Amino acid sequence: MVNVHKRRRFMAVVALTAASGIALSACSSGSDADPSASGSSGGGEAASGEDVTLDFAFWGNDVRADMYTQSIDLFMEEYPNITVNSTFLDYPAFWEKRQTEAAGGGLPDVMQFDYSYLRQYSENGLLLDLAPYLGNEIATDGLSEQILGIGVVGDQTTGIATSTNAWGMYTNPQLLESAGVEEFGGGSWDDYKSWVAEVTEASGGEVFGGTDYTGRIQNFEVQLRAEGKNLFNEDGTPGFDEARLAEFWESGADMRGEDGSGISQQKLEEIYPVSGFGSALTASELTWDNFGAGYLGELGESYTELGLVAPPVTVEGAKDLYLKPSMLHSVSASTEHPAEAAMLVDFLVNSPEVGAIFGTNRGLPASTTMQEGMTFEGLDAQIRDYEESVADRLGDAPPVPLVGYGTLEEKFRVLGTELGFGTVTVEDAVSQFFSEMDVVLNS
Amino acid sequence: MTGRGDVWVKHDSDQERVVQPRPYWNRKRVTTLIWFVALAILTAIVIYPLIWLLFATFKPSSEFGQNQGLIPDQPTIDNYIKVMDGIAGVPMWRFFANSAIIAIAATVGTVLSSAMAAYAFARIRFKGVGIFFTAMIGTLLLPFHVVIIPQYIMFNKLDMIDTYWPLLLPKFLATEAFFVFLMVQFMRGIPREMDEAARVDGAGHVRTFGSIMLPLIQPALVTSAIFSFIWTWNDFLAPLMYITSPEKYPLPIALRLYNDQTSTSDYGATVAASFLALVPILLFFLVFQRFLVAGVATQGLKG
Repeated sequence: MVNVHKRRRFMAVVALTAASGIALSACSSGSDADPSASGSSGGGEAASGEDVTLDFAFWGNDVRADMYTQSIDLFMEEYPNITVNSTFLDYPAFWEKRQTEAAGGGLPDVMQFDYSYLRQYSENGLLLDLAPYLGNEIATDGLSEQILGIGVVGDQTTGIATSTNAWGMYTNPQLLESAGVEEFGGGSWDDYKSWVAEVTEASGGEVFGGTDYTGRIQNFEVQLRAEGKNLFNEDGTPGFDEARLAEFWESGADMRGEDGSGISQQKLEEIYPVSGFGSALTASELTWDNFGAGYLGELGESYTELGLVAPPVTVEGAKDLYLKPSMLHSVSASTEHPAEAAMLVDFLVNSPEVGAIFGTNRGLPASTTMQEGMTFEGLDAQIRDYEESVADRLGDAPPVPLVGYGTLEEKFRVLGTELGFGTVTVEDAVSQFFSEMDVVLNS
Repeated sequence: MTGRGDVWVKHDSDQERVVQPRPYWNRKRVTTLIWFVALAILTAIVIYPLIWLLFATFKPSSEFGQNQGLIPDQPTIDNYIKVMDGIAGVPMWRFFANSAIIAIAATVGTVLSSAMAAYAFARIRFKGVGIFFTAMIGTLLLPFHVVIIPQYIMFNKLDMIDTYWPLLLPKFLATEAFFVFLMVQFMRGIPREMDEAARVDGAGHVRTFGSIMLPLIQPALVTSAIFSFIWTWNDFLAPLMYITSPEKYPLPIALRLYNDQTSTSDYGATVAASFLALVPILLFFLVFQRFLVAGVATQGLKG
């Protein structure tokens, strides 16, 4: 609170010096608003019913933009005194712009938010604590404790999960059929590797059984969770040591390279930005379960269905999977209309009508109230059934990703591709990753 | 590299075969021919991505993963139809119009203000001219990223976010040091006797600038205008920071809206829109490129 005000005053000074002689207006809109309404401790103010304008930002493509436009129109019909200006960008540009606004004090009132940035923005006091609005402006009937817990950083609820996804494995039944191999029937990681090799062999090398799974940090996390550890603990320490990481990367050795059982990195670079699975070159892919629609889009009309099965098991009976928010909705701490902003969040997270518009475009809706408005068919039904089928493997979500997690995830991915090219040894990769962690975690 | 080497060798032997019977192929002509072929091959390599882009605009979106070749398997114009429909209720021509407005206004502003600033630096001996000139050159060394946030705060406090002011106002205040410098150098090459003659005839600075200087630095003006137009047309970061309403987006931002890593990406629409966005700037360049060369070359000789 104090920080926010201090920073504001500092900015005002900067702006004054830079643009002396020009009258300053206090904020982008409505400078007569009650100052106590901004900041995280004010909380719980009721909507005034006056005419207010909210800025809303999201990331997505043209398809999602249409869906939001329809939803926002519904919202404005229901609350005629609230005008919502929405803006959208693609994901990287969205965050570039938010970072500038965060530093410059111009964040939009309501934002579609990503899990990996939640901690950073929350700890800097940029997001409003929504706890006072829960059960009032934001209905909680459809949101379970587990779901609400996802958006808690420290002791503040700074985000409401819109939708969730779980780690899963997509398979391509058509490729499997022409190779004459059965769907992966579950089993250990070693079973998965031999299944991949079988598919690659059966198709005569035209199609690969899968991709070297050790390139994805999520597979590592699943294995660690099965062993009762976290990838990163709440205090920011890693839940693994050099030896464990080396063991993980070693385990993928026979899937990599030109004569590995998985698709080679060279091949993947050739078809980038389309994935190996999306190009019908691999028969399986471990990924988040909301990627299915994207894969079907990449595969084109000749492929109509996908298989969705549980990832390989590390330790029998372990709760190694979890529901990750595919996105959240958050409110800026500097909003002048916190109550109305909370109402918009509620509408976008809970409303059955919005659910009917979006389907699973934003992932499987977290709110059961929203799900009531939806008819599940095709892939949507498959994803819902999948998440139900792995219910006994779903544990509590890990701590909200630490600041800089995105950097580490990217480093892991890059090292994975370098291992694929054979330009780095496992030993070197491990030491590179640990020195990167050193930089990120201790800064 | 080796590929190009092979070509050279091949044509050398061709030359042997062809030269003997016909004296028409003298040494000079053969050299020209070899150069022509080599340059044609290089051009083909350099232009291939562009050709690929053009052909790719006729591929259906689903073909992008499976067919990396040049020729589409199932040619279609659906991509163009989709692009013309626009994005989220904003028609495509709107993005073109926005880009054009910004680029033209920015070009006018840059050329006008830079020429005036350059005149002051080159011809008027005011107090601290040296320091100001050094400071102006110094801004060239500042990466844009350093000033993004302070600039954003300024324009936010001035309530100019989501207008074109943050994009245009600086252009009218001669903040593009590169162009100011270019023109200063150009003016320094113009004999002072010209100004002095004007002064004897009673012209003040305004008159000297308008009637003497402007016509003489025309090549520099044209060069600045062309660069300024192309840079502004292609600028992504500044509009990203300052424009929030989708109906005010210029093309470079609109182009990225067909892609979304988190759900589906419409590659077909992306390449079609990219190609359309390329056309105006390509035409612009083709028309003005000879002025461009003239401007820079003259400047080099005289400066």
